[in-house]
Amino acid sequence: MWSVPTGKMTTESVAPPDDIDSPADEPRRHGIVWVVYALLYVVAIPWYWPEGYRGALIFGLPTWAAVSLGATLALALWTAYVIHRYWDGGQD
Amino acid sequence: MDVTGLGFGPGALAVIALYLVSMIGVGWLGRMRRQSDSMVDFYLAGRSMGFAVLLLTLYATQYSGNTMFGYTGKSYRIGFEWTVSVLFMFSIIVGYLLFAPRLVAVARKADFITPGDYIRHRFGSPVLTLLATILMIYALGNYTLAQLKAMGAAVEGITDGQMPSAYGIIALAVIMVIYETLGGMRSVAWTDVIQGVVLLTGFSILLFVVPGLGGGLTRVVETLSLSEPAMVTVPSLETCNTWISFILLLGCGAAIYPQAIQRLYASKNVRSLKRSLAVMAFLPLTTTLIAMICGVTGRVVLPGIEGVGTDQVLARLCALIMQQSVAGYWLVVVIFAAALAALMSTADSALLSISSMFTRDIYQVHFRPDSTEAELTMVGKVVSWVVVAALVVIAIGTDKTLVRLLELKFEVLIQIVPCFFLGLYWKRLGAGVALGGMLAGLAVALGCTAAGMTKVYGFHAGVVGLGLNFVVCAIGTRWAPATMNREATT
Repeated sequence: MWSVPTGKMTTESVAPPDDIDSPADEPRRHGIVWVVYALLYVVAIPWYWPEGYRGALIFGLPTWAAVSLGATLALALWTAYVIHRYWDGGQD
Repeated sequence: MDVTGLGFGPGALAVIALYLVSMIGVGWLGRMRRQSDSMVDFYLAGRSMGFAVLLLTLYATQYSGNTMFGYTGKSYRIGFEWTVSVLFMFSIIVGYLLFAPRLVAVARKADFITPGDYIRHRFGSPVLTLLATILMIYALGNYTLAQLKAMGAAVEGITDGQMPSAYGIIALAVIMVIYETLGGMRSVAWTDVIQGVVLLTGFSILLFVVPGLGGGLTRVVETLSLSEPAMVTVPSLETCNTWISFILLLGCGAAIYPQAIQRLYASKNVRSLKRSLAVMAFLPLTTTLIAMICGVTGRVVLPGIEGVGTDQVLARLCALIMQQSVAGYWLVVVIFAAALAALMSTADSALLSISSMFTRDIYQVHFRPDSTEAELTMVGKVVSWVVVAALVVIAIGTDKTLVRLLELKFEVLIQIVPCFFLGLYWKRLGAGVALGGMLAGLAVALGCTAAGMTKVYGFHAGVVGLGLNFVVCAIGTRWAPATMNREATT
C-alpha cells in the first residue's frame, strides 16, 4: 500500500519517481495526431466566414454552424480512431 | 425560480419522489457489494469499473444541471454562437489524451486515490499538494453549489411554487448524501448509470418535442433571421477568440476535474477506459447541441425573458409541452427526472471527490498520518455531511446565474493543469517552479476578475493566467533548474 509522505514542508522538488514512465504507446508521441486535430479545429472555429454571414439552412442550421458541427463530428471520429490506434496501455 | 406554470399533479410528483428515493435503494445495494472498509473501495469502488458503468458515470458526471438549464439559457441569450458548447465539451476528451494514458499507467502502479496523490508522488512537495488540493476543493465546492441551486429551482418549478426552493435543496441534498455515504463511489457510479440513462432519454425527448413548439427548427431559424439576425449569423473575430478560450478553459479544466481523474483511476482496465472515452467524444452532439436547439427555440416561442430568468427557459418550454396533451405531460415528467438526474449525478460525484481530498490529502497527511483505513473512511463520510450542510446554507442565500458560477470555478482549477500536462512529461519541472507558475496564474486570473476584466481580447481571465503559468513553468525549468530542483541531484 502506498504510504503518505510526512516530511518537512518544502516547495523544493525531490527527484521525480522512476515510475513516471510511459505506457507502451500514447497519442502525445505522434505528430500526425495533433496536426489533424489542428486542421479540424481550424475548420470548426468559424473565423473564416464573412461578417454577418448566415448561409442556407442545413438540417435547420445556419451553414456556418452546420460546418462547425460537422467538423466537431469529424473530431470525434478522429478521436475514436486515435484512442484505438495510438493508445496502448500494455497488459491490463 | 419564478413559478413557471410547470406544476406537476400528485401522480407525477409521486413518480419523481419514487425515482429519487430509489436512489437510496441503489446506494444500499452499493453498500452491500463493498469488499472492505478501505479508501480504495469507498472512493474508487475497488478499481472495478467496467465499460458500461464507467461510460455512464463519466457522462452523468460531466453533463450537469448547467447543461440543461444554464446552456439552454445561454443559447437563448446569444443564439447559435453557443455552438461552441458542443466543441468545448468535445475538447475535454482531447484534454484527456494529453495526459491520461501516462497518468493511468502511473496511478495503477502507485495506487493513487486522489489527484493530490499524484502531485505529492510526482513533486514531493506538501505545500504544492496542499495548495492544489485547496484549489480543487474550492472549485468543486463552487460546482456543487451551482447544482444545489438548480435543484432548488427545479423542485420549486415542478411543484408550482408550493415547495420553496430552499426545501427542494435540502431534500435532494439529503437524499444525495445518504446514498453517497452508504456505498461511496460504487453507489455514486451505480446511481449515475440510472441517471445517465434517464439523462440521455430526457435529451432525446427534448430534441423531438421542443423544436416543434416553434414549427420546427428551420422555421425557428428563419423567424430569428428576420427578427434578430445577430442570433443566427457568424460570430465576430473577437468572439472566435472566446471560442478558442472556451476550448482551452474546458478542454484543460474539465479534464482535470478531480472526480474525472478519480474515474480514470477507478477503471477496471485500460481497455474499458479507452472505449468509454471514445464514446464520450460523440456525446456533446446528443447533449449540448440539443440544449442549444432548445434555447434558440425558446427565443422564438418565449421572447422577452432577460437576465437570470433565462435560466428558466427550459422549464417554461416544458410547461408549454405539458399543456398540449397527456402524453406531453408525462414526457415532461421524464425530462424533469432527467434534469434532477443531471444535477444529482454531478453534485454527488463532486461531493465524493471533496470528501476524498479532504480526508486523504489534508486530514491524513497533516493531522493523522497513522490513522487506519476504516477511520479515514468514516472521517470521509462525516466530511460529506458537513460539506453538504455548509453548501446548502450558502446555496439558499446566494443568487447568480448558473453559467457565471461555472466560469468562475474554472479560472481557479485550470491553474493546476501544468502539474499534469507538463509534470508527467518534463522530469526537470520542479515543485518550486510549478508552485510559482500556479501562483502567478492565480494572481492574473483572480486579479483580472476582481478588476472586472473577465475577458481580455475575448480570452477568459483564467486562460490568460494559464498562459502565464505555462510561461513561468517553461522559463523556470529552462533557467533555474539548478536552484529550484537542487534536491533532485542529491
